[in-house]
Amino acid sequence: MALAPPRKQPPMPLALPGFEHVKRGWNATHECYAARILPGEYYVTKNDESVYTTLGSCISACIRDRVLGIGGMNHFMLPATELSEADAWKAASLSAATRYGNYAMEHLINEILRNGGKRQNLEVKVFGGGRILENMTDVGQRNIAFVRDYLRTEGLQVASEDVGEIFPRMVVYFPATGRVRVKRLRSLHNNTIASQEKSYIESIKEKPVSGDVELF
Amino acid sequence: MAVSASDLVRDIEGLVTLPDVYLRINRLIEDPGSSIADIAAAVSQDPSFTVRLLRIANSALYSFPSSVDTATRAATIIGTSQLRNLALSMSVAKSFAGLPNELVSMENFWRHSLLCALAARHLAKEMRRCDPDALFTAGLLHDIGELVIFNRLPEQSSEALQRVLDSQDELPVPEAEREVLGFDHSAVGGELARQWSLPVLLQECIAHHHDIAAALKHPREAALVHIANIIALMAEVDTLDPADVPPIDPRAWEVTGLDENVVEPAMRAAQAEVAGIEKLFLDQK
Repeated sequence: MALAPPRKQPPMPLALPGFEHVKRGWNATHECYAARILPGEYYVTKNDESVYTTLGSCISACIRDRVLGIGGMNHFMLPATELSEADAWKAASLSAATRYGNYAMEHLINEILRNGGKRQNLEVKVFGGGRILENMTDVGQRNIAFVRDYLRTEGLQVASEDVGEIFPRMVVYFPATGRVRVKRLRSLHNNTIASQEKSYIESIKEKPVSGDVELF
Repeated sequence: MAVSASDLVRDIEGLVTLPDVYLRINRLIEDPGSSIADIAAAVSQDPSFTVRLLRIANSALYSFPSSVDTATRAATIIGTSQLRNLALSMSVAKSFAGLPNELVSMENFWRHSLLCALAARHLAKEMRRCDPDALFTAGLLHDIGELVIFNRLPEQSSEALQRVLDSQDELPVPEAEREVLGFDHSAVGGELARQWSLPVLLQECIAHHHDIAAALKHPREAALVHIANIIALMAEVDTLDPADVPPIDPRAWEVTGLDENVVEPAMRAAQAEVAGIEKLFLDQK
């Protein structure tokens, strides 16, 4: 069977202002550029390129304007609080715990709107919140509860989701088409992903959110 | 940094040793003057091993018509060479407790190994002239080199796993290890098996489960463990989509004479069996 010749690697498209620092590389399988985001980061694009990340108990929201194909992905979690129940974040709402979730969601949505996206065209998909370490409180569930409540409050419907369970995930999102590839990762990767999330959560504890979020 | 697979293995001498009960049984089996009674006596010297052995002999893993209630009966019914395989399988997790690491929990590591062992055993039954119990042991031991590199070279191992994730999980783990370390976990495991003088079948399955063409004496068994490893990965993340796991080398199907139809039943069998026997093999006591 003759294989189709691989698509020649085009020059890397320009990143939107503010996203130049995000690491991107050519992906031969999907034949497009792929931006790799880490915990705490987000990426929005108008180009035909993908965004990917690995998730343990963190959440990624994949949001785009389904008409214009402008969209992106964030990657966040709520810092731990004294309360461990799944809905503990409610008791602490407006406190430090939810600030980071609100911040990540607002930044992603605002950036899409700033680049021409329309609120009524937004399509939202949600991933992550796994319980990958057995002897930890289920912070994944708390993150899932937060993002669902956030989207409900904002009047945004979830078009699809893959959340919870015990697996880490690799999520690859194509904002131009809305396609998502979610791959469960083997437990060999649990600790690598968990320690990445841990250093993120420790970094935000030390660095309070600056107040530059505009609400649309 | 001039570290090689054999340097690493030399490094861990004394930290990981073959289980005593295996060494005792092995010595007796190789001694033509020993009897089944001698072997049973060697087993009985280790009461907690004996208890677990009898539980396994009476579990769903075997379906002996009558119950196996003494070490002597176990040696008679299971057979002495099978007993040697079992002794190795049942004690290996304990042996490696001396090599802790930060990258993978022992529970998750041995669970993958056990799923591979069960899948390999299942596949071996589908093939002619293939010993299911030897393949079980091969499956259980196939990744032991991973525990060695994770313990001895934690930073480089972590860097290798990071590269796998950065590649969208497209870069195979052994390839990432070779990029960073210059060798992979299968080379280290093979070296350890050689140093321990394990049977050549086990040496080759451990050393070549990612590169089956290199297995010269036991190509069928190495190819079978290669397939079983992928099935274990599918069982772990509960998927039947081949795109979710690394590809099976097409030569493995040729060499074993098996085909893709074996994948789903072997995966389901491994998933169903693992819970019942996990404790018996992975108990550190």
